[in-house]
Amino acid sequence: MNDSNAAFTLAPAADSPRPLALTPGQDLRGYLSALLGRAVLFFITFSSVLAVLLILVFVVIRSVGFLSGSSIVEFLASQNWRPTAEPPVFGALAIIVGSLYVSFAALVFAVPLGILAAVFLSDIVSWKVRNVVKPIVEILAAIPSVAYGFFAVLVLAPWLQKQFGFSTGTNALNASLILAIMALPTIISVAEDSISALGRELREASYSCGATRLETIVRVVIPAAHSGIIAAVVLGMMRAIGETMVVWMASGNAPQIPHPWWDLAQSVRTLTATIAGEMGEAPETSLHRGALFAMGVLLLLMTLGMNLVSEYFLARAKKAGGRT
Amino acid sequence: MRKAIVSAVAVALAMSTAVRAETLRIEGSTTVGPIADAFAEYFKGVYPNLEITVNKNGSGNGATALIEGRCDIAAMSRFMEPQEFSKAVANKVYPVAWTIAMDGVCVVVHPSNPVKTLTSAQVREIYMGKITNWSQVGGSQTPIVVISRDSSSGTYETFETLIMKKQPMAQGVEYVNANPQAQARVRTTPGAIGYVGLGFLEGVKAVPIDGIAPTRQTVANGTYPLSRPLFLFTNGFPKLGSIPFKFVTFYLTEKGQDLIEAKDFVPMTNY
Amino acid sequence: MRNLHVRGQLDRVFTATTALSIVLLTLVLVAILGPMVYRGSSAVFFQGTVEFRKMQKNLFGRGNEQALNAEVAETDQLRRQVYQMIDGFKKGVDVEALSEQVREIYRQFGQELRDKNVPTGQYTKLRELTRRIRDKLETAFHSQDINEIKRAVAEVLKEADNPHLKGTSAEKFFALARQFLQAAGQIDLSKHQEYAAAVQEVEGILFHSDSLPGLLGPRPGEPPAPLTMLRYGATRWDQAQVLLDRFLWVDQWVQEKPGEPLVLKRRPRAELFPESLRPLFAYVEQNADKMLHPRRTIYWQFLIDDNINSHYFGGIGPEILGTMLITVVGMLFVIPLGIISAAYLVECASDGWTMRIIRMGINTLAGVPSIVFGLFGLAFFVLFLFPALGFEPKPCILAASMTLAVLTLPVMIRASEEAIRSVPASYKEGSLALGASRFHTFVAVTFPAALPGILTGVILSLSRIAGETAPILFTGAVSLGAVPHSVFDPTRTLSYGSYDMAVGDRLAMMVPHNQYGMVVTLVLLILILNGAAIVLRTRVFKKLRGH
Repeated sequence: MNDSNAAFTLAPAADSPRPLALTPGQDLRGYLSALLGRAVLFFITFSSVLAVLLILVFVVIRSVGFLSGSSIVEFLASQNWRPTAEPPVFGALAIIVGSLYVSFAALVFAVPLGILAAVFLSDIVSWKVRNVVKPIVEILAAIPSVAYGFFAVLVLAPWLQKQFGFSTGTNALNASLILAIMALPTIISVAEDSISALGRELREASYSCGATRLETIVRVVIPAAHSGIIAAVVLGMMRAIGETMVVWMASGNAPQIPHPWWDLAQSVRTLTATIAGEMGEAPETSLHRGALFAMGVLLLLMTLGMNLVSEYFLARAKKAGGRT
Repeated sequence: MRKAIVSAVAVALAMSTAVRAETLRIEGSTTVGPIADAFAEYFKGVYPNLEITVNKNGSGNGATALIEGRCDIAAMSRFMEPQEFSKAVANKVYPVAWTIAMDGVCVVVHPSNPVKTLTSAQVREIYMGKITNWSQVGGSQTPIVVISRDSSSGTYETFETLIMKKQPMAQGVEYVNANPQAQARVRTTPGAIGYVGLGFLEGVKAVPIDGIAPTRQTVANGTYPLSRPLFLFTNGFPKLGSIPFKFVTFYLTEKGQDLIEAKDFVPMTNY
Repeated sequence: MRNLHVRGQLDRVFTATTALSIVLLTLVLVAILGPMVYRGSSAVFFQGTVEFRKMQKNLFGRGNEQALNAEVAETDQLRRQVYQMIDGFKKGVDVEALSEQVREIYRQFGQELRDKNVPTGQYTKLRELTRRIRDKLETAFHSQDINEIKRAVAEVLKEADNPHLKGTSAEKFFALARQFLQAAGQIDLSKHQEYAAAVQEVEGILFHSDSLPGLLGPRPGEPPAPLTMLRYGATRWDQAQVLLDRFLWVDQWVQEKPGEPLVLKRRPRAELFPESLRPLFAYVEQNADKMLHPRRTIYWQFLIDDNINSHYFGGIGPEILGTMLITVVGMLFVIPLGIISAAYLVECASDGWTMRIIRMGINTLAGVPSIVFGLFGLAFFVLFLFPALGFEPKPCILAASMTLAVLTLPVMIRASEEAIRSVPASYKEGSLALGASRFHTFVAVTFPAALPGILTGVILSLSRIAGETAPILFTGAVSLGAVPHSVFDPTRTLSYGSYDMAVGDRLAMMVPHNQYGMVVTLVLLILILNGAAIVLRTRVFKKLRGH
């Protein structure tokens, strides 16, 4: 984007007391100091990125024992998760489906609400009101997940039971509602950023054609900002799929695939909840622990997949000239 | 004069050794944790220079910490697994088990449930998904909501061995991660059945199993079918009279018994 | 197009819907935070009873001793009547205690005889006699027939004039016998055992049971209970009211129709007892506030006190300190590393494959459950990096902060990267054209312009660091331990503390105010820390916009 700037780096200003041409020594010194600075920055970046990436390696290494020793087909295709039985059965299909199920359901609640809220913040209210309202969204992000968990178990679950006559209140609906609340701040702030970044020209052009605000937003603003909005949705999805404590408390953790598929009132279990719930008690070198790490690898692959999807959309948006 | 200096030095030395804090690190089960907390608080009162830390991150992690030398005492709600033992021995750690208390695992239902008693076979069939309505065991026409502890907790293991006889649970069984959660779920769900430790019976109804109600007495004398021991593990037999020794044998004292009872577990002693 | 009216209406509906979405969000926030703040604030603002002031005096050395003593004397005066009523009733029903008392008198008398060196013949005779009296009394205690009791007591009282027993401890036999006869005349003897169990339950509620504190606290002169929490009565008036309710009423689940769920029925506990004890219930109900002296209390020391008995009493001082330490140390890693990395990735690295892979890797981390970060932190920082750097390999604040830093670095890098990238190229080009170096351009132009976005990243990662539990479970958090002296000590934190209370003990149900107090303090702490960032961001934004 701005690599061409390198040539300007050492260009002196017009009123500078320094001579216009540098001596070879100064030139070399400048070159070396820039190189050194770059090296230091590179080292810092490298080490922090490395520390972050090491965890991927860590998860993969810890799962190798399980993945090489037992049947991956069973892991991916069986619905029986009985890690402490004799012999143990590690079938994660129902749990994988549960993870995706809850996250998608959360998005169904969160995306419309998130986009509406983002539009409200960027296009409808004044700057002053926005500064008051936006912190509300950020407070939602600041509530620790333990607190959401309490809310899910002690308030939402009994309420759902009473209000809708469900036999159990800790179910897919409960978990996805809470996940939706937790994903909303991410979705709203990313979507709002991309919507406000569009600039006034587009909107003014649309208004000057006689379009109402609704038409401007639906036909002009949102299509123009769609790459950012898709990125927001994917980020929200990743937040939902990686969330642990809340799902563990709210989803009921029954390793089953809901039947019929749209029945949100049934309990489901997610990968993260299984890992969090069972990691503490599983013996260090057991197959069970390996299986839990293998679930971690699966989660990594899922988020990787989602990343690729979002990258694809962003790249396409760029190519189409949606972003300058 | 010299005597005074010598004695002053001696006092200073004695004080410096006394002031140097001794540490005792305990790690492991969330179930045994409350007992460890209570013991630790008592020990802090008796030995002001002792620094005790308690960390409740699961039996498996307690065992690992003991094996890798990161803690002095591992609190566990299950016995060590063979693979943990072999790893310990390979690390030159020789785990010694101390059974400090018993815990009853009580089958509980919502207090509005008219069911008076269940047999262990009935409980098993409920958890296997063969019985799905309370009317099948003499209750009202209500679907059963089955709640279990997570499959790697000691409570689950006890239940699985003694009631389930290693039969698999149905897929629709809900799992919760701790006794308070299990209790909260049963207390707020009219059709629920669950199982919790002896200290978590408030607001729920403990159902007698095979005609025997869970109480401290029936758990202590073994007539109640669902009980389990709670352990502390040390590396080897601690030096007699040392702090770890006093800690792991504290359950044998009258004070220790009182504390275990105060935390709603069943002590091994009867003063 | 369609007519203007419909379009206008649609537009209005749309505006209303977007506004509704924000209203909904606000409602959700209120629904989640409202009850929590309400309960949490009652950890500091509540009606404290005299028991609370006793506890504060004994455990923390606070309060005016004289005033407290006067208050205690006043309340004890009223409580004495409760003790008397219960003791009087127990004389008639508590068979085991009575039998034990009789056996004690018998033993004491035997000791007395031996001390006096009574001749052997007489000793045997008197022992024989008292043993008979003892057995007669025990028969009477265990009998359910009033005539049998009268007969047995009469036989015992015949010996009251025996000169050998006069002036000895054996006289206590007769006092006991008379008391018992009187008490036994007033109650239904077939309900002995039932009454004994019921009175034990009442004592549990009023004084304390093996594991639960009571309304008034232990009776004076009783040996101290094993746990500190059992040594005081209800310290808060809301607690007292719950206990009072339990004292006055019995919950019973009754079957009204066969095959239907049971229905909750409440009935006065007094009905479980005979007439002789019923005044107790009215007395306690009327005098509860005089026996406890509830008074408006602001317990701000909640924020600095250490806790006692797993957060039953006391406050959350060490937890607050630990959370702040972990957050600050963590942010010391996250902010510079995040900004530098983002700057490097945007300004220096070419936009090629390496960059893409790095970004992909960082983004993928969002799917790693936080507990895995904890295990990673233990394996990498504590067990690998610390020994390599010469530190002791044990979980501590530093390890916890580093683990949390790794957890939040992706958020920070991503947010800063976006912010830096979205600074218009014209700003930079202008600066460079003026002859500033790239470093200078970044510091003076790009960074300030990107600051609002970077601060958003700070807010997000700060909230995460202060609120996460699982990553510090293995790397530095403990549920019980000393206050840390340095970053190489483990610590307690608010997040781990509230998690611990939620999963470990049944105490959380008895002291929800402390549990919620911890969560609310955590939320407030995060908000205060964030508040600074939010204010800063608004200011910067204003400047940038030229307002």
